[in-house]
Amino acid sequence: MKILVPLKQVPDSTVRVKVAADGKSIVTEGITWSISPYDEYAIEMALERKDADPTTIVAVVTVGPARSRDALRQALAMGCDEASLITVDTAAPLAVARALARVVEEAKPDLVLCGKQASDDDQGFVGPALAELLGWPHVATITKVITVDGGVELWREIEGGHEVWKAPLPALATVHKSDKEPRYPSLPGIMKAKKKEIPERALSALGIEPSGPTWTVLSMEPPPVRGGGKILKDGDAKQIAEQLATALRDEAKVL
Amino acid sequence: MKTLVVAERKGTELRRVTLELAAKARELGDVAVVEIAGERYTPLPFVSALAKKVESEKPDLVLLGATLNGRDLGARLAARVGRAYAADVTGLRPAGNALELDKPMYAGKVRAKVRLDLPAVVSVRPGAMPLQGGAETPQVEKIEADGSAEKLTFVKLAATATGTKRVSLSEARVVVSGGRGLKGPENWHLVEELADALGGAVGASRAVTDAGWRPNEEQVGQTGKTVTPDLYVALGISGAIQHLAGMTSSKVIVAVNKDPDADIFKIADYGIVADVFEFVPAFTEAVKKARAS
Repeated sequence: MKILVPLKQVPDSTVRVKVAADGKSIVTEGITWSISPYDEYAIEMALERKDADPTTIVAVVTVGPARSRDALRQALAMGCDEASLITVDTAAPLAVARALARVVEEAKPDLVLCGKQASDDDQGFVGPALAELLGWPHVATITKVITVDGGVELWREIEGGHEVWKAPLPALATVHKSDKEPRYPSLPGIMKAKKKEIPERALSALGIEPSGPTWTVLSMEPPPVRGGGKILKDGDAKQIAEQLATALRDEAKVL
Repeated sequence: MKTLVVAERKGTELRRVTLELAAKARELGDVAVVEIAGERYTPLPFVSALAKKVESEKPDLVLLGATLNGRDLGARLAARVGRAYAADVTGLRPAGNALELDKPMYAGKVRAKVRLDLPAVVSVRPGAMPLQGGAETPQVEKIEADGSAEKLTFVKLAATATGTKRVSLSEARVVVSGGRGLKGPENWHLVEELADALGGAVGASRAVTDAGWRPNEEQVGQTGKTVTPDLYVALGISGAIQHLAGMTSSKVIVAVNKDPDADIFKIADYGIVADVFEFVPAFTEAVKKARAS
């Protein structure tokens, strides 16, 4: 089976994101970039298939600026087999999906696993849009994939449990979590990844326009700072509990 | 402005977010509310039915709840009909032939204002546009899901042990979350009893879901759910930046932790430096009493 994981490079989740001087972008100088967390889960899920069946090929691709190459290198170091980069500084979400659709048509994967949303714009658009452009079925927010006769079983997390869907191949799923936490690159993995070629093409070379329906950012600001409030400490547990319950009812009016 | 609201139901009741969207759409102009009738949500049949409706009615705006299904349906619909799309917005104002939206980004670490040209598809975070006064139940038109578009086969429902009795986490007005300070899944009755006394939902920190103490669906934070309840109670949660991203917009935050230096106290409106095993049972009793009187 061939599995393709489209990924996006985003500021690492530990970065304290700051708004830049222009008031409509973030400070990117000196920050750490990583694979978006849900894309890491998608990679882990694909690699778990490969652990179970070593004939599985796991390919990664990204559409983004040249720095995204580092994210692909990281995916190779985790154990992915192939990587390719489509460069563009900024592209509308639908243009990204179009570029990925082209890659899918060329690479002919059986299964495409996308992170359910990127942790920068938190949109969750590209996965379903890619399935739409390909005319493939998709299942959203899965936590498990199992190979079965005639396709795959995709376990979708819902309130109170999982829905299990069977999809014929090729199919696409967006990933919420993998069974295990995403693996760290191993030292041999890092060495091997260094030697691998990462072919690069410009989006324009695919004949795809970067434009499409999208938004214009007007402004960005940090969320309002919440000051620490009161610390309740007078009395024993029962007395403090009663003070708190009364405060929530009469002062905060949330009971 | 002409708005098409996509309704969602939990059991037999319309979800609260549907009422919130209908009220917001009434502020903007004409409203039609549709519900796609099908045994369960599945992308292709739902998108096909909804796209037909959008193409015939030509609303300026399609509004969905930013729920598990609403976000998925909205994204694929936007791709099908070639419209601009914004997910999980928390504010929405008309601006000429466009909308000005409040759009949280970077897992809540940034609040952006964006301009989105019409026609558009937008999903709105539950609870972000609270109802003023009583909820007016909108008239809902039912359309049939297009079963002929289906390529998937439903196999089964695998329920988690926790069941679905409680209100849904992302729509709950009160959320009580437990962290590693609870020491093990066997102590979760403390969290549940408090949640029941408050009429709220149960959440968890990532450490807890990663350890398998609680199911993933209960995780609050960057790789879990973002919640905006009136009251958020954090029990034995230290307050990692990824957790704070998922709950910092709650109206009132209560934190109980025995470490006085825990980061959660920096954002809590009410902090209690105490052992959860001692404090929580006392607090559950106090809540019952306060609500009864």
